[in-house]
Amino acid sequence: MTKISLSISAKSLLLRLLEIILGGLFFYAGYLKLLHPDDFAEAVMAYRLLPISLVGAAAAVLPWLEVAAGLLLAVGLKKRSCLLLLGFMTGGFLLVMLVTLARGLKIDCGCGLFFTRQVGLVPILEDAVILLGAAGLYYWELTGAGEGTANSAPAANGH
Amino acid sequence: MIRRLIRQDLAWAGFILILAAALGFGQQWRLVRLSWTGGLSAHLEQQREQRRRTEFQGVPTLNLAQAYELFQQGQARFIDARNAEEYAELHIPGAVNLPPWDLKEPGARPLAGIPTERQLVVYCGQINCDAALKVAENLQALGFSRVAAFLGGFQAWDQAGYPADTSK
Repeated sequence: MTKISLSISAKSLLLRLLEIILGGLFFYAGYLKLLHPDDFAEAVMAYRLLPISLVGAAAAVLPWLEVAAGLLLAVGLKKRSCLLLLGFMTGGFLLVMLVTLARGLKIDCGCGLFFTRQVGLVPILEDAVILLGAAGLYYWELTGAGEGTANSAPAANGH
Repeated sequence: MIRRLIRQDLAWAGFILILAAALGFGQQWRLVRLSWTGGLSAHLEQQREQRRRTEFQGVPTLNLAQAYELFQQGQARFIDARNAEEYAELHIPGAVNLPPWDLKEPGARPLAGIPTERQLVVYCGQINCDAALKVAENLQALGFSRVAAFLGGFQAWDQAGYPADTSK
């Protein structure tokens, strides 16, 4: 049983707010991709990194991963695992964009929430910030930084 | 203690990944199967054409050969619908840069001096880019009567080895 702290500090509230925002953004991004699976498959194909035979699988799984991890993080379930997943996804995508930039490919990044964007410095920097944020939140949750942080280590069940 | 927690976190992350994979494969099995059997490109092209026929009906389209013929004849004015950075790097000689967002102003400078009956050919980056169709549609709405969208985009033009330059 997770111990619930009676006094929630400002740091814990900030931590929770950041997690809700991050989870919400990924949920929304995944949801948009689920609405337009063909467009996302096309975006994955344009990177020319995966064999065509695996593009469908990637296009099928990645949006659901964003939706699942984003939603669970936003509602506060298995937060650290979700942060790990989102961190790995973000780090992987950052690497993909850097390789694409190095290859000189001018393509839609498939990462614009409100409008289409090309692979470039801005999406790369944005991704780097999100990665640092996810890593920071994970560390914070893991080490129980901040006074009276709810649901954080070293409680017996972790999450 | 921390290592045990990290192992637990990784285990749950793996579970969420498997759940996402099951949901993804279940929902998009057709896409996965098409991709695995090599039919994905043809399927996406078909979907794109269907969507464009509905969304941009009324906008004539040109293939690479048709666009190049018009270029050689010197009758058409080419409109580059990509952003300014891409345009500056390389574009079809004589093309005017007009991305979709610049069309908000009816009296936009790039259109100044171009008669409305002049043949215009709009292109963007590559075949899956809709900007050329959007700009062509807007130009028709602004009164230009001979507008067509070159669907192959600058990528097809460049790959064919046709003329290109960086001059404005």
